[in-house]
Amino acid sequence: MTSQNAAVTTRGLIKRYGSRTALHGIDLDIPRGSVFGMIGPNGAGKTTTMRLLLDIIRPSGGELRVLGEEPRTGGAGLRRRVGYLPGELHLQGRVRGRDLLAHYAEISGTVRHGAIDSLADRLGVDLSRPVRSLSKGNKQKVGLIQAFMHEPELLVLDEPTSGLDPLVQQEFHAMLREAKENGQTVFLSSHVLSEVQQTADHVAILRSGRIVSRSTVAALRESAVRHVRIVVAEADAAVARPALERTPGVGSLVEASDREGTTAFVTTLDSHVDAFVKAIAGLDVVDLTIEEPDLEQTVLAFYGPDAEPTTDDGREAAR
Amino acid sequence: MNRTLPLFRRNLADSWRGLAGWSVGLLAALFLYLPLYPSLGGNGQMQAMIDTLPPELVQTLGYDAIGTGPGYVQATFFGLMGFVLVTIAAVGWGTGAIANDEETGQLELTLAHGITRGQLFVERTAAVLVKLLWLTAMSVVVILALNGPAELDLDLGPLLAAATAFLGLTFLSAAAAISIGGVTGRRAWALGAGAGVAVYGYALNALGNQGEDLSWLHDWSPYSWAFNTDPLTNGWDWRIWLLFGVAGLLLLIGWLVFRRRDVAI
Repeated sequence: MTSQNAAVTTRGLIKRYGSRTALHGIDLDIPRGSVFGMIGPNGAGKTTTMRLLLDIIRPSGGELRVLGEEPRTGGAGLRRRVGYLPGELHLQGRVRGRDLLAHYAEISGTVRHGAIDSLADRLGVDLSRPVRSLSKGNKQKVGLIQAFMHEPELLVLDEPTSGLDPLVQQEFHAMLREAKENGQTVFLSSHVLSEVQQTADHVAILRSGRIVSRSTVAALRESAVRHVRIVVAEADAAVARPALERTPGVGSLVEASDREGTTAFVTTLDSHVDAFVKAIAGLDVVDLTIEEPDLEQTVLAFYGPDAEPTTDDGREAAR
Repeated sequence: MNRTLPLFRRNLADSWRGLAGWSVGLLAALFLYLPLYPSLGGNGQMQAMIDTLPPELVQTLGYDAIGTGPGYVQATFFGLMGFVLVTIAAVGWGTGAIANDEETGQLELTLAHGITRGQLFVERTAAVLVKLLWLTAMSVVVILALNGPAELDLDLGPLLAAATAFLGLTFLSAAAAISIGGVTGRRAWALGAGAGVAVYGYALNALGNQGEDLSWLHDWSPYSWAFNTDPLTNGWDWRIWLLFGVAGLLLLIGWLVFRRRDVAI
């Protein structure tokens, strides 16, 4: 992918703070017009990555391009084309929301007349009140408005729904979809998958400053672990065990007692659903339960201490 | 939409309450001290009382010429109350320009917009300078108004020289706070730098006043650059411009570091 049609490209992006390395060489390609989610636990490097895009901090190594330009040299002109919501939003408290947004509008790209009011109506926030009197959720709305109001080519949103109630989250998801339809690119982060799952096309999972997985939500779902319970006739149990053990993708088998004359096996299954079904086709199956994959658990597996960073093609192959 | 100097205007709009407060405080000091001159300083009573004090103390306070109008205004306002009040304001505003904004987390979002760091640095420095200029100009106007009634016997030229020295001295503290804020992003460091410059200058000047063999200390004290030649009596001196020069140098260093360092870490 060239930087021409990518909104954000990074190659071997490294960020060190003194002796501590926050990012160990990140490769990202965020296609224009897509919604890209980055998930990872706290301290994984999500905020660091986003701050690098806005030139708030500078890379220690590697390449970085935002809308075809380096943030360092792109300067103010580049940042006018980007909308940013910081992960820890601190707004000046004494001014009214409207005045604060008017100030940000002066130092942003061109804000269409009425854009601020229409966003405030959508999200339901009273801009005539001083910012400090607003709840956390309402401050977050002010933050969202300043990110969206100039209809930037790229939206960089760090934990955007934090503090928002579910109804407003829905409205926010609608705003993301509209942004995508307008050809805007969205790069958002979260520490929970469910948020990204609903809106993002592509997902990168970050852990300890490394991308441990890079995928689409669909592929993530495919590779997710499913819990399986299969009940066979007792007479078939001796045949079933080796048959299941031979099947690719099946985890360790636990035999559980069931009704008289039957044997239950409980196990896990990754993406090889088809192979599994074919393997059990010859058995006398009394009951079969395959639970819906729990993506959250899939992601947690990447967070785990044993998770190894995969190469680019590792997960891509699962698509 | 008016896009000229957005950060400068925002800074002034945000701090007009503080500026009003400092203005009132300064007015109170001026109206408290200056009208007392005819009864205290002018009739020789004050001088007689000063003569009974230990000379070291008198020299530290700069009260040695308190028997004249210019000496009185210098000793009470420019050299002491006004200096203390405006320096506190200057250090506060200087700390607020970058360091405080960065520690509260607000600077990150401002810098994520379509402005450069240099623009932010310059506009906010200009806002601090304008506020100090306001306080100084207001003081000059009040002193001129009280000049006749309080029998101060001041001339305009030397008054402007002293006011410029005063502005330079307080702006130097502000510049130190802005610059160290730009370098470190830490409120405590910025505050310490601004206040430190003021205390250092005052202490060195007081030490230098103690005798001929210590007077070389005046060469190293910003306070002495401003006031040691007694501009309120003697008018302009090149050392007044040294204050602005050093302030400019500090700001230059602050900007050079600020534009290339990481913010908000």
